[in-house]
Amino acid sequence: MKLVLTNFGIQRPWVVLILTVLLTAGLGLQMPKVNFDNDPENMLSEDEPVRVFHHQVKEKYSLYDFVIVGIVNESHADGIFNTETLGRIGDLTEQLLTLQRTEDGKPAVTLAGSKQVLDLSPDSTWKQVLNFAFRHNPNRLFDEEGGSAIIAREIISPSVVDNIKQAELGSLRIAYLMEEKPTTREEALEIRDDAMSNPLYAGTLVAEDQKAICLYLPIQDKTYSYNVAELVRTLTADWEGDDEVYITGLPVAEDTFGVEMLVQMATSAPMAGVAIFLLLLFFFRRISLIVAPMLVALVSVITTMGLLIGLGFDVHIMSSMIAIFLMPIAVADAVHILSEFYDTYPRFKDKAATVRHVVGHLFSPMLYTTLTTMVGFASLAATPIPPVRVFGLHVAFGVGMAWLLTMVFIPAYLMLFVPSSALTGLAKKEAAAQQGGRLQRFLEGLGSFSYRHAKAILAVTMVVLVVAAYGISLIRVNDNPVKWFTPDHPVRVADKVLNEHFGGTYTAYLTFSPDDSGQAESASQWLRSRVEADDVTADIREAVLAALNAEESEGGAAGDKLFTLIARRLEDQGTGEEWARLADEVNYLDPAGLTRANLQQRLAAAPKARVDELVQLLGDTQLTGEELLNRALEISEAASAGPADQVLEWAADFSAPLFKQPAMLRWVEDLQKALAADPVVGKTSSAVDALKKASYELQYQDLPEADNQKHFSVPDTVAATGQVFTQLEGMKKKDSLFHLVTRDYREANLWIQLKSGDNRDMEAVVASVDDYMKNNPPPAAVKTGWAGLTYINVVWQEKMVKGMLSALGSSFLFVLVMMIILFRSPVFGIMAMIPLSVTISFIYGLIGLVGKEYDMPVAVLSALTLGLSVDFAIHFLQRSRELQKKHGSWKEAITQMFKEPAVAISRNAITISIGFTPLLAAPLVPYKTVGFFLATIMAVSWMATLFILAALATVLRKKIFAGEV
Amino acid sequence: MTELITLFLMFLPAWAAADNGIDVQEIVEKANRASYYAGKDGRADVTMTIHDGKGGARERAFTILRLNTRGADQKFYVYFKEPADVRKMAYLVWKNANRDDDRWLWLPAMNLVKRIAPGDKRTSFVGSDFVYEDVSGRGTEEDHHVLIKETDTQYHLKSTPKDAGSVEFSYYELWIDKTTHLPRKAEYYDKQGKLYRRVEALKVEQIDDHPTVVESKVSDLVTGGYTINRFTNVSYDNGYNERIFTERFLRRPPREIR
Repeated sequence: MKLVLTNFGIQRPWVVLILTVLLTAGLGLQMPKVNFDNDPENMLSEDEPVRVFHHQVKEKYSLYDFVIVGIVNESHADGIFNTETLGRIGDLTEQLLTLQRTEDGKPAVTLAGSKQVLDLSPDSTWKQVLNFAFRHNPNRLFDEEGGSAIIAREIISPSVVDNIKQAELGSLRIAYLMEEKPTTREEALEIRDDAMSNPLYAGTLVAEDQKAICLYLPIQDKTYSYNVAELVRTLTADWEGDDEVYITGLPVAEDTFGVEMLVQMATSAPMAGVAIFLLLLFFFRRISLIVAPMLVALVSVITTMGLLIGLGFDVHIMSSMIAIFLMPIAVADAVHILSEFYDTYPRFKDKAATVRHVVGHLFSPMLYTTLTTMVGFASLAATPIPPVRVFGLHVAFGVGMAWLLTMVFIPAYLMLFVPSSALTGLAKKEAAAQQGGRLQRFLEGLGSFSYRHAKAILAVTMVVLVVAAYGISLIRVNDNPVKWFTPDHPVRVADKVLNEHFGGTYTAYLTFSPDDSGQAESASQWLRSRVEADDVTADIREAVLAALNAEESEGGAAGDKLFTLIARRLEDQGTGEEWARLADEVNYLDPAGLTRANLQQRLAAAPKARVDELVQLLGDTQLTGEELLNRALEISEAASAGPADQVLEWAADFSAPLFKQPAMLRWVEDLQKALAADPVVGKTSSAVDALKKASYELQYQDLPEADNQKHFSVPDTVAATGQVFTQLEGMKKKDSLFHLVTRDYREANLWIQLKSGDNRDMEAVVASVDDYMKNNPPPAAVKTGWAGLTYINVVWQEKMVKGMLSALGSSFLFVLVMMIILFRSPVFGIMAMIPLSVTISFIYGLIGLVGKEYDMPVAVLSALTLGLSVDFAIHFLQRSRELQKKHGSWKEAITQMFKEPAVAISRNAITISIGFTPLLAAPLVPYKTVGFFLATIMAVSWMATLFILAALATVLRKKIFAGEV
Repeated sequence: MTELITLFLMFLPAWAAADNGIDVQEIVEKANRASYYAGKDGRADVTMTIHDGKGGARERAFTILRLNTRGADQKFYVYFKEPADVRKMAYLVWKNANRDDDRWLWLPAMNLVKRIAPGDKRTSFVGSDFVYEDVSGRGTEEDHHVLIKETDTQYHLKSTPKDAGSVEFSYYELWIDKTTHLPRKAEYYDKQGKLYRRVEALKVEQIDDHPTVVESKVSDLVTGGYTINRFTNVSYDNGYNERIFTERFLRRPPREIR
């Protein structure tokens, strides 16, 4: 039964070989269909509420992902605001605005009427080869219709953002901040002053230290960001002088990561392969022998990746590591078999018999170690994170494939390609024996140490566990895609520089919408309370209340209509209408020669009684002409302001959407002030900032600045805010206001820039907003919502932590049950779990103690540890039990145990550790993390198995081996 | 006679010489007269609906008065009636043929008259898809006009700005009705040569002998947004006094507009 597969391999080696080649070719041919996905957003499934909401917010406010281009000038006396730098920024903007595709698919830009065709293909041949292999087209800057990847009309640059400012004769000018490139220092400084005085630009578009300007390039899709960044690099490559160009933003970080990930795939995996190859060569000194495990690894990797791609999954950061994970694991069993095959061949002097013998007694432990590794990885399928699920299941598949190959292909290979003559030579045996001998002597020493100091080892283990528990309590859950780069990486450097100069390059959006769930006040209730509360004349109050009562007694209308009806009732009442007619007459008077004396005569067409009253009110005035007319108009207008007018003004208040109400807008203003005090928050922008600036400029007069500053505020009435907002709607850059408020002014969006993309920092900001809202409830019930990539990262991180914990818990139980079945003993089952439990505790304790943050790669490691470190325990316990049975004495058994079986375990541990070390050289932190921790995991679980299990078995030998002695 | 309300229709100017015996400049001049100069003066109530292309719409109601003064000079008065918060807000525009226009703004809630400096006439009119130039007309001499096709009913023109830097389009095409002389459609192409904006006269009626656009539409082909203007209570030759087009009448609007 155990040998069915192996016998097939021995008897029909050619069939096995052909089947293997066919399978490999079949799945390998799927590879060209590969699609890469480096978007952390895809850590959440498409229908995840926060993602759906994020996209609704982006859609509602026309928000895009930005490539952020920072231009810094540290040395010029005027900082960035010198004519040369501003000129370059103007040119760059023009080039980006005119990006278009040529006939042959190349990008082209236009500057001052002349078109320049670019080619972004890298110079290095190696990179070109990589681009070809990974089908990355560096000139891909256009959608299918040839439209630019950059959304030109939404670019934020001094050349194309609105500026309202005072112009000649007290007039207001609406233009772009930098209509023309400045030619003099004065012009450049004027641009500086305009930008710095606009709260929407200081800290976002221009740095408050005046040394930097940021261009925000909205892109159609995040996947363009790397190419757009390259485009900017190409266009700015010839910039002279002290201008430094930095490119950042989460999309760039993510996309760059993706591109570099490909390079890693193309280098780390082969390097791991080479490392393993050299190591095996060192162990076995026989190339024809070690080619077999390498082939097993290669075939497992190709079939797994082929399957993943063939099934239509994208290669995500996790799955890019599949090759590296699989290789060391895949060779392990093959190495085990070959190691034993090699040691026992001299006994049989027959390849088939040797293979049957070796597989015969390794079958069970190998099946179980494979199954447990598969369970460990497959448990990732229980996480709510799609790419992690895909990764886990495919690695599980690959591990299974490696096992199958080990069982069938290795025997076939031995039969076909390893000549018996090569095995009979003694030289190699000697060499290997020596090799094994040195390791073996060391291990024997270890074994006897474990036996003699069993209790001490267990005591030390307890101490380690206590320290680890403390370490685990220190673990900080945190992630930040920018920190996936090493500190000297350009993306990381740009991030650091720009966050020093600006409000922050990490974006989150806090949205507000009215909470209509509560009982709304009826129009009549509302009007009644306003009539009582507002400062109006007694006449108006009485008239309006009377009209309201009359309207209600007739059934009454609801909502806005009530106001219209009441106003209509009031229109013909009182003297207001007569005064209004008089005001009109006054308005049309010819001021020429107008005096108090001829006023009455010129107003013959107006209601006589009111004209008399007016003349009386004018009193003994000496005013004439225009001035007299103005005074007369003022009086008659004031008198004409009747209850109907007042009701219509109230109507405007009643029907005002939430974000035209001054109280609500001031609440947002205060929230922004509170957020500004948070050191992580660099800057917040809202429609209120735009409103205040416009209000200031509109009401600006030739007065001391302190007086004008009073108008840098939210206007007092709904009508005033509405009218100022209407001006903002008609700016040169159309609809830019609607990034911050919806067109119906019912909902608003607060753009928050953070200096850090750490999830912990984002979480802290969310908490402080919650806090603020609890202590300072808004004037009307509002619902809040968070969006933005920085926030999305927080959500998937939370899911990941919880998901990984439950995956770990469930696979732990699963493996435990498997162990109990394997050993047919609960005690052995539990013992098998001890090394891995110690290892996991140790690793996570270490992570906590050294302050390494618990991020995605670290989380995934838990599943790995479980699957890998139980393997050693299985081998150890299985063999111990056999030896105990054979020798009847634990002391003798443990001595034997630390000979050949311990060597096999150790070789495996070393192979896997070394196999992962090339990852340490990667420029991407997650790869480094995985490389380092895997090597550590192997070392720790190897020690945990050999020391702790040996010690434990020694202490408990009477109980556990009782029935078997 | 021509019509008034095409205030909101692009009018297109002419200069180019005629091929095939047709004087393109004459076509364009006639279209300009028909669109913006009908009668001595005119008025209309306008309902403007701004669609954002995502299913949302905003409505504004205002009244426009127009007076032809001297030569190509004109004066406009725009008075807002709805929505409630912009009630009584007003714009005054003096369109000057040979120099920059004069513009004033009245914000009643702030008791504020503000002069607007001459600037880009291709900025949005109160947040709609119409630009100021659609309201008051574009100088016929600002573009080169070429007749590219003539059908039984229409002239099809292509107009290219003389100063490419001053506008956001690279050229536009224009379809002018032969009998009414009214432009029926204009299509704008961006600097990459892509069609991005369309202005259409959807409905034309004969009012006081003037063919009058009573419904017009501007579409932003990039965002999918569009604005529709519907004109009612249109009248011509009301005998307006030039005085009502002054700053004084911003504070208290003329009777003619209420």
